[in-house]
Amino acid sequence: MVDVIVFAVAGLIVLAGGLGVVLNSNPVRSALSLVASFFGVAVLFVLQEAHFLALVQIVVYAGAIVVLFLFVIMLLGVDEVEDLSIEPLSGQRIGGLLAGAALLVFLLGGLFLSGGDEGAVAVTGTESVTQPIDETQPNIDNLATDLFGRNVLAFEATALLLTIATVGAVVLVRNAGAEDLSVDEPGRADH
Amino acid sequence: MSDFLRQYLLVILFALLAVGVVGAFIGLASLLRPNRPSKGKLENYESGVDPVGSGWSQSQIRYYIFALLFVMFDVEAVFIFPWATRLEEYGYFGLLEMVIFIAILTLGLGYAWRKGVLRWA
Amino acid sequence: MTLAFLAQQTIERIPFDSPTIDWHAFAPEAILLAWTCLVVVVDMVGLERARRFMPGLTGVGFLLATIPVLTLWNDGATRSLFEGAYVVDRYALALKGLFLISGYVVVLLSTQYMADGDYYDSEYYILLASSVLGMTVMASARDLITIFVALELLSIPAYLLAAWRKRDLKSNEAGLKYMLMGIFASAIMLYGMSLLYGVAGDTRLSVIAEKLTSEGTKPLLTLAALFTIIGFAFKVSAVPFHTWAPDTYEGAPTPLTAFLAVASKAAGFVAMVTIITTAFPGQADVVEPFMWVLSALTMSIGNLIAMRQTNIVRMLAYSGVAQAGYIMAPLAVYSQTGQNGVSAASAIVNYLIIYSAMNLGAFAVVIAAARKTRSGEISSFGGMLNYAPGLTTAMTVFLFSLAGIPPMGGWLAKWQVFSVLLQSESTWGTTLALVAAVNTVLAAFYYLNVAKQMWFMPAPDGDTSRVRVPPSLVAALAITVIATLLSGVTGLVPDITDFGSIALGR
Repeated sequence: MVDVIVFAVAGLIVLAGGLGVVLNSNPVRSALSLVASFFGVAVLFVLQEAHFLALVQIVVYAGAIVVLFLFVIMLLGVDEVEDLSIEPLSGQRIGGLLAGAALLVFLLGGLFLSGGDEGAVAVTGTESVTQPIDETQPNIDNLATDLFGRNVLAFEATALLLTIATVGAVVLVRNAGAEDLSVDEPGRADH
Repeated sequence: MSDFLRQYLLVILFALLAVGVVGAFIGLASLLRPNRPSKGKLENYESGVDPVGSGWSQSQIRYYIFALLFVMFDVEAVFIFPWATRLEEYGYFGLLEMVIFIAILTLGLGYAWRKGVLRWA
Repeated sequence: MTLAFLAQQTIERIPFDSPTIDWHAFAPEAILLAWTCLVVVVDMVGLERARRFMPGLTGVGFLLATIPVLTLWNDGATRSLFEGAYVVDRYALALKGLFLISGYVVVLLSTQYMADGDYYDSEYYILLASSVLGMTVMASARDLITIFVALELLSIPAYLLAAWRKRDLKSNEAGLKYMLMGIFASAIMLYGMSLLYGVAGDTRLSVIAEKLTSEGTKPLLTLAALFTIIGFAFKVSAVPFHTWAPDTYEGAPTPLTAFLAVASKAAGFVAMVTIITTAFPGQADVVEPFMWVLSALTMSIGNLIAMRQTNIVRMLAYSGVAQAGYIMAPLAVYSQTGQNGVSAASAIVNYLIIYSAMNLGAFAVVIAAARKTRSGEISSFGGMLNYAPGLTTAMTVFLFSLAGIPPMGGWLAKWQVFSVLLQSESTWGTTLALVAAVNTVLAAFYYLNVAKQMWFMPAPDGDTSRVRVPPSLVAALAITVIATLLSGVTGLVPDITDFGSIALGR
C-alpha cells in the first residue's frame, strides 16, 4: 500500500516536473522543473530498490547535467525573450499536439493490449521473462559485473565519448587563430 | 511497507526536519523582525559596489568548459564507485580497465589544460 | 586486511569472472583506440606545429587498423566475445574494412580542404578517428548497449564536425539540425530498446530473438521493433526522417559531407541490418511491411526532390536519400530469402561497399572542382571537359555508376538488390522491385544531366584555366575510380559479401 502511495506521489512529481519544463516561459524555471522531475525519478528508482541508480540520478542528472543546462541558458542570455506567438508554419502547434496525442494513444494501447491470456493488464516488467534480482545481493554488484564484464567495451567507449565532448567543446569555444589561445567573448562573434 | 522502504523512512524524516527547521526560523524571524521595505534592499548584491545591469546578464562561454569538465568527472566518479566497492574481486582485469578508463579521461583534461581554456586571464 | 568487515555480512556478493578477451579479434578497435589517443597526445605536445602531420598520422592509423582486419579475414573463423555480445565474423570484417578505408579516403579528401580553410585541423582528425572507431565497434556489436554506445560514439563527433566552420551560419545550422534530429532519433530508439529489454530481460540480440519468438506477436513487441528501427531510419535519412540531410550536407564542410553520406549512413544500415536479422526473425510480419513502405517512400521521394536541385551537394544529398531506399529494400523481404536474412544482408553490404566507392568519388570531384569554381551549382560544371578532362572522366564514371549503368559497380549493386527482391517470389518483393526499377530510370535523368553539363555545355564564365588537383585528392580519386570500375567488371564485391552460412552472431 505504501509502495503505491510512494509511486503515485513520485509519479506526480515526475509528470509535474515534465510539464513545468515544457510550459514555463522562463528557461531557468524549466531547468529547475527538470530537477524536480529527476528527483521524482530517483524516488521511483528507490521504490524499485535500485539505490545506486537513485544516487546516480541525483548526482549526475540533478547535479551535473542540470548545472550544465543552466550554464548554457545563462550563456545565451535569459533576458532575450523570443516571441512564441509567431508560428513559422501555420497549424504547426495543433499538428504537433495531435501527433503527440496520437502517439500517446498508440503507446498506451500497445502497452495495455499486450496483457496475458486472462485479459490481465500487463505493462512492461510483469511480462519480463527474467527473475527479479535476488534481494540478498547488492545491485551495485549486478551492475558492476555487467559493466566490467560483458559491456567492458561500451564502458571504455564511454570514456572516449566524454573526452570527445571535451575536445569538441574546446574547439567550439576557442577563438580561431588567436595567438594566446584566448576564449571567445560572448556577443562578439565576428562573422 | 517493505523493510527496504522503512529504511528510507529516516530519509523522509530528515527531509521533514530540514524543511521544518528552516520554516520555523524564517517564520519566527518574520514575526519578530521590523518590516521596512525600501528599493535599496531589493538591489542585487554585487560585492558592495552599485550593481550594473540586471542579474540575468549573459555569462561567459568559458564557464561552459568548466561545467562540462565537471560533468565528465562526475560520470567518471559514478563508474569508479562500483569498482571501488570491491577492488579485490575485480582483480587485475578490473584494474587494467579502470586505468585505461581514467587514462582516456585524463587525456581530455590534459587536452583542455594544454589548449589553455582552463587559464583565467 | 580486507575491507570486507565494512560490508554487511549477511549479503552474498556476486562473484566476478573476468571475461577472456580474444586480442586478435579485438585488434582493429584496440589499435584505432590507441592511435586516436596518440593523435590527441601529439596534438597536445605539438600544438600548432603538429597540425601538418595530422592528416598523415590519422591516415596511417586507419591503414594500421586495417591490417588485423585482413589477418582476421584470412583466418575466417567466427569469433564471439563477451558471451556473444560482440561477434567478429566475415560480415563484421567486411564492414570494418569498409569503414576504415572510407575513413582513409575522407582523410585524403580533407587534407587540402582543412589546410586551406585554416580550420582546427588537429581536432578534426581526432574526431574523425573516434567516429570511425564507433563504426568499427558497430559492425561487431550484437548487444543493445554496445550498439547504442557505438552509435553515440560515431554520431557525436559527426555533430561537432558538421558545425566545424563555426563562423559560417550555414555550418552552424547544419550542426544544430543534425544534432537535434540525431538526439531525437536516439531518444526514440532508446525507448524501443528499453521495451525490448523489458520483454526479453537481456540486451544480447540473440537472446532477444529467442524470447521474442516465444512471445509471438504482441502490440508491445511491434512498438518496440518499430521504435528501434525508426531510430536508425533517421541515421540513414530514410523518408520521412530525412529532413535534416540536405541542410546538413550543404552546410557541413564538403569532405565531412562525404563522410556523413557514406560512412555514417553505412553504419546506420549496419545497425539496422544486424538488429532486424538477428533480433527480429520472428517479427517479420510487422517489420517487413514497415520496411517496404519506408523503402518505397525513400527511393521515390528522394528521387523526385533530387531532380529539382540546382546545387550539386544538395542533389547528391537527395540522391543519397534515394540510394538509401534501394539499400534497405532487401529488408522488406528478409525472412523470405535465403538463410534467415543472410542473403538480404549480403546484398545490403555489397551495395554499401560499392555505394561508398562511387559516392566518395563523386564528392572528391565536387571538392576538386570547387577549388576552382568556388560554387556548388550544377551549372558551374559546364564545359569541364575542356579544362579538366581527367576530373570529367572520373565524374562520369561515378555518375554512370550511381545511375546503375553497366559495367560500373553501381549496376552490380542494384542487380543484387533486385535479385534478392525477386528471389522472395512474393507480391511484396516483386512490387518493390518494380518501384525500384521505375526509380532507377528516374534517377538516371538527373545523374546524366550533370554529365551532360560537363561534356556538352560551355563554361558559365568562360574561364577555362586548368584546375589544380592536390595529390591527396588525386589519390582519393584513384582509389575510388579503381574500386568503382573493379567492383563492376570483376564482381569482386559479391565474393567478399558472400557470407555463406555465417549466421549473424547466432
